[in-house]
Amino acid sequence: MKKTLLGELFKKREFTIIFIIIILSIVFGILSKNFLSISNITNIFIQISSIGIAAVGMTMVIITGGIDVSAGSILGIVAVITAKAAIAGLSVPLILILGIVVGTLLGSINGELVSSLGVPPIIATLGTMSFFRAMVFQLLGGRWISSFPESFRKISTSNFLNIPIPIWFMFFLAIIFTYYLEYRPTGRYIYAIGNSIEAARVSGIPTKRVLLLVYIFAGMMYGIAGVIVAARTGIVQTNTGSGFELAVIAATVLGGTNILGGEGSAIGSMLGALLLAIITNGMILINLPALTEGLIVGTIIIISVLTDILKLRRRGYQYE
Amino acid sequence: MNKFLDIIANNRNIFLGVILILLIFIFSFIVPHFFELYNISNMTQYGVEIGLLAFAEAFIIISGGGGIDLSVGSLLSLSAMVIGVLVGRHNFNIWLAVIFGLGTGALGGAFNGFLVNLFKIPPLLVTLSTMYIYQSLALLVSVEPQFGNPMPISKFPNNYLFIGQNTILGIPFQVLIIFIPIFFILNYYLKYTTFGRNLYAVGNNEKTAKFSGVSVEKTRFITYLVGGILVGIAAVIMTSRISSARPDLGEGYNLQAITIAVLGGVSIFGGEGNMLGVVLSIGIIVVLYNGLQLAGVNAIWQMGALGLVLIGSALGHNMLSQRAERRCSMTQLPISKGL
Repeated sequence: MKKTLLGELFKKREFTIIFIIIILSIVFGILSKNFLSISNITNIFIQISSIGIAAVGMTMVIITGGIDVSAGSILGIVAVITAKAAIAGLSVPLILILGIVVGTLLGSINGELVSSLGVPPIIATLGTMSFFRAMVFQLLGGRWISSFPESFRKISTSNFLNIPIPIWFMFFLAIIFTYYLEYRPTGRYIYAIGNSIEAARVSGIPTKRVLLLVYIFAGMMYGIAGVIVAARTGIVQTNTGSGFELAVIAATVLGGTNILGGEGSAIGSMLGALLLAIITNGMILINLPALTEGLIVGTIIIISVLTDILKLRRRGYQYE
Repeated sequence: MNKFLDIIANNRNIFLGVILILLIFIFSFIVPHFFELYNISNMTQYGVEIGLLAFAEAFIIISGGGGIDLSVGSLLSLSAMVIGVLVGRHNFNIWLAVIFGLGTGALGGAFNGFLVNLFKIPPLLVTLSTMYIYQSLALLVSVEPQFGNPMPISKFPNNYLFIGQNTILGIPFQVLIIFIPIFFILNYYLKYTTFGRNLYAVGNNEKTAKFSGVSVEKTRFITYLVGGILVGIAAVIMTSRISSARPDLGEGYNLQAITIAVLGGVSIFGGEGNMLGVVLSIGIIVVLYNGLQLAGVNAIWQMGALGLVLIGSALGHNMLSQRAERRCSMTQLPISKGL
């Protein structure tokens, strides 16, 4: 599939989002002097790095036609375990690996439930969401962990080429997985499953194995996000990451991933996360009450999906 | 053993009933004060509120098309706050406020139904968005104008509290006067009316239903509307029982309501489930919660147990239906469907 780059670019959802981001940035920039300052922009990017990374995993799950609401709880468990490891004096690379391993293991539980045991994704992950949350509580023993060693906090504060490490992580993962989804056979299988699992199975795609892999990747991403969140906030408590899954799903859907499966991209989801963060950040800077955040986020999701659907309808396609 | 499995496979409600009785039996023996009138009445009071939400969820899930409602908890908070603010801050007559509260629930449900059916937005997305929206509205409504902060309201008149706190012949008022009638009405509607038949038809196969002249949109819209009204009723009962309204009242209820519906035999793919199963499942969840609580298990593990029950019931359902299909021996093994 050869594409002319520019022509495709304008048709893409990603382009629309970048366009909206630029317009919003100009509006907020005029309304508030601080919005376009370097420190605020870095701040926005650091905020979205965890959501953006998790959204990469969520994108793959949603492309298969599934959903994962256990993301926040997996993030919570990883945050607790890595925070404890940091206090026990584990070195930073090992902590990162530990976070990834734990995330992978938890993701594979979701994957097994969905792929081999045939539990519908929403049911499987709703179940693991509350079970994992209970495990967070158990691991913490009802207390919270703070006062991490400085080396652990550095994961989120140190820079490379003046850009904080988590942001590098996010871009790196978004690009890798965009490539993976677009050009690798397994990546294409993920789309095929989302379009029709029956057709995919009949054409010889090992659907169960691919589904398992997708949830494992997702768990891995939540694991990385968990390490970053723990390092950034400097505190891990029972409710760390609760509600996180909704922000991630919102970012993914806003980024153009079709909730019915078969469509979406990792870069788009990252941009969706950026758009959400710009809105909430801008709202705070122009002194809108924080309580309206949910109202605005919810409305934006509805509007973005609505425009998608109306666009599809004009092309004569109907949602089944 | 095989015969036993067959009974379970053919009649899930018997299975649920057996589990419920077993649970009550076990907890009565190992947990002190479990099988006492005070505790049982306590449990049923709690069961009414979560039960109404589960009814709403069951209706919506049965209607199919990926039907699910993640906004019941937020809508509960919003309805409760509307009642609370009208009574506590604007000195409305309590019954007028209750009507507004029920209206809020109905409007919220109708808004979901409107987006799902007119624009064909997948229910998961609609209710995810409205979950945010209703929660945010509940917070905004609860803002105390003097301080600018969200504040709970506990100024309810005494003649309101009988709904949630009184008993008739030892049975809590809301069970006898509200919950049982609602159960019978919903059960009747599902089983014996055209609407109920249409609902199952739409949930089972949208296309055949459409070609048979059933209005898919209208039928589904009604389920969301009814769901919203049920949530409104739950809000009334809850504010009356605890005689206060908080903007976070409904937090965590979405998962519980969905779990109860699925455990009760409502298939997440639509078109399957009945009210009796849901009621038995309400009993199981409430007994499990209450028993664990009295046994001194931390509240968070009740949630963990709920998660396991949810997955377990889905697994059990799969196993039994695979068994049934092998029996029929004319179809292949079911393929795991997406959402």
